[in-house]
Amino acid sequence: MRLVHGCSLLMLSAMVMLTAGCETNKVSSPVVRFDRQTTNYGDAKAVELVTNEFGSSDLQMIAEKMTGSLLETGIFQGRPTVTISTVKNKTSEYIDTTNVMNSIQTALVKSGKVRFTRSIQEMQAGVDELTRQNQSGLYKQSSTAKVGKMTAAKFSVEGELTSIVKQSATTKDVFYKFTLKLFDVEEGTVEWQDEKEIRKTTKR
Amino acid sequence: MIQLIRATGLCAALLLSSGVMAQRDAAAPSPPAVAAKLATRGDIKGVRVYEIRMVRRADVLVVEADIQNTETEDRQVFYRFRWLDGGGMQVGDGESWKQLLVYGQQTKVVKGVAPSSAGADFRLEFNVE
Repeated sequence: MRLVHGCSLLMLSAMVMLTAGCETNKVSSPVVRFDRQTTNYGDAKAVELVTNEFGSSDLQMIAEKMTGSLLETGIFQGRPTVTISTVKNKTSEYIDTTNVMNSIQTALVKSGKVRFTRSIQEMQAGVDELTRQNQSGLYKQSSTAKVGKMTAAKFSVEGELTSIVKQSATTKDVFYKFTLKLFDVEEGTVEWQDEKEIRKTTKR
Repeated sequence: MIQLIRATGLCAALLLSSGVMAQRDAAAPSPPAVAAKLATRGDIKGVRVYEIRMVRRADVLVVEADIQNTETEDRQVFYRFRWLDGGGMQVGDGESWKQLLVYGQQTKVVKGVAPSSAGADFRLEFNVE
């Protein structure tokens, strides 16, 4: 009887020690936030299903599909030069299509298979820098970048995003189609083309 | 008469259980060579990858995987490819997760292209909702 009582006491004290241990092991995280706030960093690569409008997952899926398709064709043999041309947004939504092209460009540059030249939108900054180096009189002649030495693009990339929206009382269906074309600048021919189709359906 | 009913009942039970077993067999795990390339999370609910093909095209690794739903109910599969170099280090920033609807008893092909020539191996991560 005494032994049982002793064992119970021992277990109780062990549990108390364990609980105390748990409490002392509780540490704070290195964050600054209000107690009532529930903001956290999430997974940037997660499938975003908040609404059926064009979202981050659509952008990522389009960029991955187009990059993969371009890389596996082998059209970039010899690291040719490419420039980004227009990306038309023919949907009813406001979509920053430059974002899609930036993602494609980033992935292609990181692949090491291609070199990008300045696009029309990026050209003015390049011209300004050349002017500053050559006409300001601030730089040593031997170190300045010479005018007229830019490499022209062999290929030009053009894209288009369209959508078809159907809606009933309970269902909204959005069908996106992104088309990307790679033109040979000199010959004006389409050397590669691919599409990415996305269907998003929301039911109430 | 009672014996006959009992015997019939027993037969029916046996048939039913064999049917269930057959379905379980159909949902048998992926072949070992394929399983080595998979990183699944949780119960994959009768979905399996039964074949993976890989080829190097234009110096980049291209992979195709056959995802099969062995059950009759439609499944939402979330998947992505993780690309690894020769030393097992991750190549690139990691792909985005993709959602794939696989109808009951349907097989769908998913394709991945390595982000650069450094991609020498891969893992197919997926879970089923």
